[in-house]
Amino acid sequence: MIAEETLLNELKQLETQAKAFEVLVNTYKERLYWHIRRIVLNHDDTDDVLQNTFIKVFKNIDGFKGDSKLYSWMYRIATNEALTFLKKNSNKLGISNSELQDKMVSNLQADVYFEGDEIQLKLQKAIATLPEKQKLVFNMKYYQEMKYEEISEILNTSVGGLKASYHLAVKKVESFLKGD
Amino acid sequence: MNKKKNKKDFKTPKGYFEGFTDRLLDKMSSMEGNQEESILPEKEGFKLPDGYFDSLNKNIQEKLNDEVPKVIALNRRRKFYYYVAAAVAAIVLLTVGIQTNMNQEPTFENLAKTEIEDYFNNTDLGLSTYEIAEVIPVDELEISDITDNQIEDENIIDYLDNSIDNIEELNLTDYEY
Repeated sequence: MIAEETLLNELKQLETQAKAFEVLVNTYKERLYWHIRRIVLNHDDTDDVLQNTFIKVFKNIDGFKGDSKLYSWMYRIATNEALTFLKKNSNKLGISNSELQDKMVSNLQADVYFEGDEIQLKLQKAIATLPEKQKLVFNMKYYQEMKYEEISEILNTSVGGLKASYHLAVKKVESFLKGD
Repeated sequence: MNKKKNKKDFKTPKGYFEGFTDRLLDKMSSMEGNQEESILPEKEGFKLPDGYFDSLNKNIQEKLNDEVPKVIALNRRRKFYYYVAAAVAAIVLLTVGIQTNMNQEPTFENLAKTEIEDYFNNTDLGLSTYEIAEVIPVDELEISDITDNQIEDENIIDYLDNSIDNIEELNLTDYEY
């Protein structure tokens, strides 16, 4: 894998930009896809948000100062894009965020790109009940198996706070799954 | 007083308490994640179209190429008229705005009570109790904040006046009157 610093330099130079961008997309597309998919749930919406994320990254790469890792910066953009997408959707439909979450989960039943069984559907229902931050931490830790330090840089929250959020999230999801 | 009594009989490893919270939270997290009897499903059931990632790069490139910004040139004369129109509009708006404001005579106190309360009541801040707890620094709270701010009798009477329609609901006995 190409070193982040080299890639960043190539992205900022016109003659190497196109090739470097392709490398960037190929390196991060799957990880970012699954990160976004777990927030917006539906494949087509994920595709839109993912493409917009990469376009934003490309357009703003000159403004990236390297204060954080490129990887965390891209995750942050993807998270913001996904959450903004949801916010716009709930505004457009005139419903609250939690009503939108319920709607998204019930839409999964008819989604051709969801093959989950009853328990997996229930898992999504459980995750939908979590507050935004806990939801993000739960997905990033449990399903994406990210380190607390990485999540901390992306979400700009202390490691201690993340551990507490994760603990609460797991407890809530488990008790939801245990209940009928 | 016997000096020996002040000496602690037991010792803890160096730095034991400093790292205690972290170790505890780590343990709690690993218990949840690795529990054999964990009821969390391993897979979530999401799938995606075949070959989706192969064509993603091309799709992004196409979208980027479509987004060439359009440059609309304004000639100078037209620009001048725009400025004039904008200035006139600004003056009209300001005049109307000031007059309307003068009629209402808003004060900061009114604003603070109605507008801010309204904002908090009607805006979904999206913050859970836990998240609010995360941002409020506990260190800055003093016990005196709670003990010194006792509820006055008249506040209680005001509250009851405003929120209780029927005094019978309170089930007060004569003695309590």
